[in-house]
Amino acid sequence: MSDAPASPSHESGGEQSPRGSLSGAAREQDRYLPIANISRIMKKALPPNGKIAKDAKDTMQECVSEFISFITSEASEKCQKEKRKTINGDDLLWAMATLGFEDYIEPLKVYLARYREAEGDTKGSARSGDGSARPDQVGLAGQNAQLVHQGSLNYIGLQVQPQHLVMPSMQGHE
Amino acid sequence: MEDSIGGSSSNDNNIIKEQDRLLPIANVGRLMKQILPQNAKISKEAKETMQECVSEFISFVTSEASEKCRKERRKTVNGDDICWALATLGFDDYAEPMRRKSRTKIQEASTNQNDLC
Repeated sequence: MSDAPASPSHESGGEQSPRGSLSGAAREQDRYLPIANISRIMKKALPPNGKIAKDAKDTMQECVSEFISFITSEASEKCQKEKRKTINGDDLLWAMATLGFEDYIEPLKVYLARYREAEGDTKGSARSGDGSARPDQVGLAGQNAQLVHQGSLNYIGLQVQPQHLVMPSMQGHE
Repeated sequence: MEDSIGGSSSNDNNIIKEQDRLLPIANVGRLMKQILPQNAKISKEAKETMQECVSEFISFVTSEASEKCRKERRKTVNGDDICWALATLGFDDYAEPMRRKSRTKIQEASTNQNDLC
């Protein structure tokens, strides 16, 4: 199913799409997320016989970078106004709501609450490992592991089917 | 961080690896950092929240593009299908720039091919 064997560390940025390197611009791997990983997630949303063209992967790679930048910059502005240096999960949720991603908010609030609960439990227990427990690693995945998209919001016990959400148009994006 | 999640089933098919489901957190964090002022920081929960969102975004858009291909009896999802899905789902601001970039890239590729010939 997956494009490439999963390597334990993706630090290097994995396989990258060969875009022309812009002089003076950030390195390719700093501007984009690994195309192999993106492709793997895309494949999960397709039927078994479905295929993905290279230009579809490239387009999605661009979109994802844009999506992250878009939300992060909004959250960052909020933190600057409030004279805070650290962006947290709530800032991202606020940014999403502001930018028209309302449908993401409720499931993510639950995700965050469970994440914090899990973090608290991990820090409190003597046999905690590296303190990086996540909701999906503390029994919250439950029966949803085999949902069609295997998207993250499905994992936290919420039967969210992405294609049924209707996204409002995003404002103010350049 | 463990690789697999889900129930404690012995069947490998039921275990979905974390790395197959989410994009690498180091890369996500790096991308977020570029947007922030020098002295700003990103909490671990913010990176992980973004990780979840991005995976959902990809699934969301791809599903819509896939549905279009299924209706049109095509097996391969292409860049135009992704752009169409973005527009359909309300990401209008993304769709047009992506279409333009896609066209530019195709033109560049064909120019390079001609140069080689």
